[in-house]
Amino acid sequence: MMGRTMFIDPGRCIGCQACVSACRECDSHRGKSMIHLDYTDEGSSVASLPTVCMHCEDPVAPCAEVCPADAILVTADGVVQQADTTRCIGCANCVNACPFGVPKIDLQAKLQLKCNLCYDRTAYGLAPMCATVCPTGALYYGTIEELQAERPGVQVADTFVFGESEVRTGVAMVVPAERVQWPVPGGLPVVEINGKDVRR
Amino acid sequence: MRPYGGRVTEPPEPAAAEQPEAGARTGTTGGTGTTGGPDGRRPGRGAAAAARAARSLPQSVSGRAALAGAVVSGLLILAIVFGSRLLHDFDSALLPYAVATVFLAFGVAYRYTVWVSAPGARRLFRNGWRSLFSAENFRRTPTALPKMIATYLGFQKFLGARSHARWAAHQLIFWGCILAALITFPLTWGWFTFTSDSGAGPGYAMRIWGIKVLGFDSLSFIGWVMFHGLDLAAVLVIPGAGYFLWRRMKDRGAITGQRFAYDMVPLLALIVISVTGLLLTFSSIFLHGGGYEFLAVLHMVSVVFTLIYIPFGKFFHIVQRPAAVGMQLFKYTARQDDEVFACRRCEEPIDTGPYVENLRGTMRDLELGFDAWAEYCPRCKRVLRGNAYLTQVKKGFK
Amino acid sequence: MTADPHAAGSRTILPLDPSPAPPGTRGFRDAGGIPADQWHADQNGETLVPTHCCFCGVQCGMYLRVDRGGKVFGVEPRNHDINRMRLCPKGINAYQQVNHPDRLTAPLMRRSRDEELREVSWDEALDFTVSEIQRIQREHGRDAFGVLGGASLFSEKTYLVGKFARVALKTRHVDYNGRLCMVSAAGANKLAFNIDRAGNPFSDILLTDCLLLAGANVGECFPVLTQYVWGARDRGATLIVVDPRETAVARTADIHVALKSGTDSAFFNAVLNVVIEEGLTDEAYLAAHATGWEEVKANAAQYPPSRAAEICGIPAEQVVQVARAFARAPKAMAFHARGIEHHTQGVENCLSVINLCTATGHIGKPGAGYGTLTGQGNGQGGREHGQKADLLPGGRSILNEEHRRQICEIWGIEESELPAAGTSMMEMVWQMQRQEIRGLIGICNNPFVSLPNYAVVKEGYDTTEFHAQFDFFLSETAANAHVVFPVTIWAEDEGVMANAEARVVKHNKAQEPPAGVRTDTWVMCEIARRLGAGDKFAFGSSREVFDELRRASAGTVIDYSGITYERLEETGGISWPCPSTDHPGTPRLFEDGTTYHADGKIHMQVVEWHPPADPYDEAHPMTLTTGRTVAHFLSGNQTRRLGALVEQTPRPWAEVHPSHGFRNGEPVRVVTRRGSEVFPALVTEAIRPDTVFIPYHWPVPTAANALTIDALDPRSKIPEYKVCACRIEHADAIDEVPAPPVAPGHVAYPETQVSRTDPLPPSAPQGRGTSERS
Repeated sequence: MMGRTMFIDPGRCIGCQACVSACRECDSHRGKSMIHLDYTDEGSSVASLPTVCMHCEDPVAPCAEVCPADAILVTADGVVQQADTTRCIGCANCVNACPFGVPKIDLQAKLQLKCNLCYDRTAYGLAPMCATVCPTGALYYGTIEELQAERPGVQVADTFVFGESEVRTGVAMVVPAERVQWPVPGGLPVVEINGKDVRR
Repeated sequence: MRPYGGRVTEPPEPAAAEQPEAGARTGTTGGTGTTGGPDGRRPGRGAAAAARAARSLPQSVSGRAALAGAVVSGLLILAIVFGSRLLHDFDSALLPYAVATVFLAFGVAYRYTVWVSAPGARRLFRNGWRSLFSAENFRRTPTALPKMIATYLGFQKFLGARSHARWAAHQLIFWGCILAALITFPLTWGWFTFTSDSGAGPGYAMRIWGIKVLGFDSLSFIGWVMFHGLDLAAVLVIPGAGYFLWRRMKDRGAITGQRFAYDMVPLLALIVISVTGLLLTFSSIFLHGGGYEFLAVLHMVSVVFTLIYIPFGKFFHIVQRPAAVGMQLFKYTARQDDEVFACRRCEEPIDTGPYVENLRGTMRDLELGFDAWAEYCPRCKRVLRGNAYLTQVKKGFK
Repeated sequence: MTADPHAAGSRTILPLDPSPAPPGTRGFRDAGGIPADQWHADQNGETLVPTHCCFCGVQCGMYLRVDRGGKVFGVEPRNHDINRMRLCPKGINAYQQVNHPDRLTAPLMRRSRDEELREVSWDEALDFTVSEIQRIQREHGRDAFGVLGGASLFSEKTYLVGKFARVALKTRHVDYNGRLCMVSAAGANKLAFNIDRAGNPFSDILLTDCLLLAGANVGECFPVLTQYVWGARDRGATLIVVDPRETAVARTADIHVALKSGTDSAFFNAVLNVVIEEGLTDEAYLAAHATGWEEVKANAAQYPPSRAAEICGIPAEQVVQVARAFARAPKAMAFHARGIEHHTQGVENCLSVINLCTATGHIGKPGAGYGTLTGQGNGQGGREHGQKADLLPGGRSILNEEHRRQICEIWGIEESELPAAGTSMMEMVWQMQRQEIRGLIGICNNPFVSLPNYAVVKEGYDTTEFHAQFDFFLSETAANAHVVFPVTIWAEDEGVMANAEARVVKHNKAQEPPAGVRTDTWVMCEIARRLGAGDKFAFGSSREVFDELRRASAGTVIDYSGITYERLEETGGISWPCPSTDHPGTPRLFEDGTTYHADGKIHMQVVEWHPPADPYDEAHPMTLTTGRTVAHFLSGNQTRRLGALVEQTPRPWAEVHPSHGFRNGEPVRVVTRRGSEVFPALVTEAIRPDTVFIPYHWPVPTAANALTIDALDPRSKIPEYKVCACRIEHADAIDEVPAPPVAPGHVAYPETQVSRTDPLPPSAPQGRGTSERS
């Protein structure tokens, strides 16, 4: 977990997509929205999940590791940048390897694009656009101390489990206090698809 | 069915939270306890991390890369020696340039070897070449490769999709550099010579490896072009590089994360080379050689610097870019066989089957333990993770 | 040859590019930036103009980014204490209206509805308008011409609408679209407290121990207010949500009362019943500060939880839970919105909430109180200064002799010249049908989408002999008019608005209007001048109107006299009443327990529940309820043109429970006694099985308001949008969303309309997920 980072609390999210519109206003990728907003409980409730780049720390950025063109760079402060425009060949390795489903791709332009934590803003101490406007604080930018001052007793976790592996990220999720020692489930293994048990 | 009208969630009941009716469910088999707990955190992390660290640049890779560099630069030296007819045609004034190209050859070969040794690039490198050399591929679509080379490497259509202005500027730089390279490299190596029977023109003969290929009058249009090819290249490069430089100072998207050494230096180098090159011509025509010496040194220093910089900075993309053709050919081959891989949950296409298998292999090479995840589309990954959070972490506010 | 010819064919035409990519990874939600900007990020030397959002009643602060050429090209969050940099998707995209290609830039006119609208000069349009006004008033009397205003106008302009109708046109028929929005709460507030505004500022929510939200989809209609709701919960407050749908705030609420639409007063009476039964009333507070308590108490006895359970379709225990949570909390607050106000007993529903707050003593304290959430940007300010049929500036009554005399003095007219009270907006439409009103000027409203029972509305407007409309985009209503005046958008003029807290905030001018566009102020003053009342309308700017408004409100309950533009810019907003320039304003009311009645008491009112106006029967067994979605605003004339918002929510849907056997996306015909329309089904368990929900931002043939009933609350005259009887049927094909109307010779900005024809419902009521079909 980085010092100043993003904290995500899907429980507060109202699915309004302010983050989606705000992302487009960020000057570093003006006009293109990188954030994902999914309604994860379709048909049952209006629950939603915003997904920004989690800026994986260990292993360092799977997207960068699988990149055949060394196009994804990680800055000294732990921010995983979007693909270098001169190097990216648009192979989509990062798109499909990312365990969080973050990178997007412009196939015509042969270019990957993804959340870079609004580097143009965070580099100057401003919060990223999505966290700046988020009406609910589901996306929060700051230090863990600042978060806990605003939300007494809140706890966060920065480790996700995917099957047998764990991924520690620069961006953290809000979890209940009794769950803080456990990794957050990443969704793998998948045990059931559309009512069918797929455990082998 | 949800008991309607009676939804009281006080206190929150994470254990009793509803399971989604449709879609996929996720869970760690045997409950969260198996991987949980302060002691059980990060299983096998130490070993994996060590393996990963050791992989960063193994001895064997750097050794192999150095060997490749040595072989390639050795071959280049031989080519120079024999191409210039045992240095008969070699222009000793151009020696610094020739030495720089030898270093360039070493650097590129070294860097290239290191690059294609990394798992992601290595697998794509193999698959790309395999598609390229596939006889069946060639039979089925003989035009695919030339078309791809023309659109991706020549006309760089993909840049047009990023921005028309950037495409135009890049095309100027690209063709300018191609022109300059075609003229200067053979000249430097002593492969080209221009000889005049009369000693001072206007009739000239152009020779490659000593063999006359073209005779022309230096006062004719062709002659003018032959002698001013480098000036033309400079005229192409300057506006292109100038546009990029201007953009790097003005466009906030470009400025974000921009580094001087990586992003600015190459542009400045191109501009310095082009401007000093033009000034050399200017000096010889209008100033009767005034300042020529100084300009020549400046020009040479900037060129040598740029050549040596190529393998290590932004210009390495020139070497890397053909990988885009390999990648595309690899995917194209599988698409022709209708090998499209669909997401295991939503059944929307993800990419070609061989591509997904290639990616899983890369992830296994890298010891990323979640390669099975590649069979789900990014949206399903997020939805499954969101669902897991809802059912296993917390459903709502608390 | 045995090769499959199809495969061979596809092989030969297989394009090199692009390869497949997973769903949703290629879409960037980048539709329809304003062409002037083209999403470039190479702006140098921009200026940030501080202002507020043009949309809802929260009035979030924002900066508009203005380039060197003086054009608005972007938005930057502003750390104003209302919203603390937060913005919702509407607010973020609001700036794209300013230089939008669909803007009207020349007056449109036709002499009869058989002709097409054509662009004309300002003189021609004004001359025709004035001659028609004079003709109709000469032939049919002054009251045969009406004016309908709007609550998204600056307060200065709403003041001017009332004065324009009464002084220039000298007609009694003036009303505004806040009649569709705020009036039930206003009526209840006046009856109980004799002051029409929320009692507490938003910041009090952070101090409360129990928050009751009744009929307020805060997450979608007031997204930025959610931070206050969550802030209260972070500090341990209990959240109670009363809503037939499981909205985003209801989803995680401590108690969600999913009652049947149209049964709110039965529920709140029953809660009061439990509060009384369990001895949780604050008798000392009631004795000191309330009248009518004995009658209210006796009436509440008629509503035991078992009765409410039966009427409302909820478990009786929930009534008890809500009563205990609310009454036992040291400090509790209740907020309501259109959900309980859009009813034929809207005023009574609000009164039943006021009774609950009063009986438990939760009034007028930090963290304890009562309020309503205004829907329109100037929903509060728009009803204060005389564009309502029965009100004069400063909330004065047009029926009160003293008030009439005061206003006539300020306006410089004879009291005999001041018309009597008029009728409400829906009633005016009925009068248009009956040809009692033959001419109409509509300013900043779109009744073809916003009024109930579209068939009646269309007939009413079609019957008028002359109809002029002011707007900056051609609304569905304006497209049906004789004259359309192109007027400024909010960022092209300055003025004030009052938000849901009754805090007056200042909007600043960010750019010059396009050539051919005038301010609403200029157009009204120009028509008045041509009608011979120029001396009463010599206003050059909003500031001059505001100075008169301040004088006209001085000494009233709604006292603006201490508020100046300079003070607003210094402070970021002042809550009225503010009687002098050194007065800090009044963020919280009733702190000493006194109300604005002569006796200083809260006048509690007996509320009897009665069923909704539209009866259920065999053919119409279900409840249709309507409401908003987060990406669109009111009649959608603004938001249906903004690419990002269209991408988020391209079309309306019918939300139904899975028990009816519809598959998601299947066409479902919703039939009421007024008509039927076909929508794609959004099948979700987050709605009551006996209820259908349709968002109302779209015009016919996808208009919820073609189905709703034009029954009015007898006191507030608010239409019963939130409940009517319906049934649902399978259908063959959905009705298509039409493109928004544009000036003749134009097409609606195509980049923004790409998603509009999507035949499927959004993935959730908040819109399509970012990876859905994009």
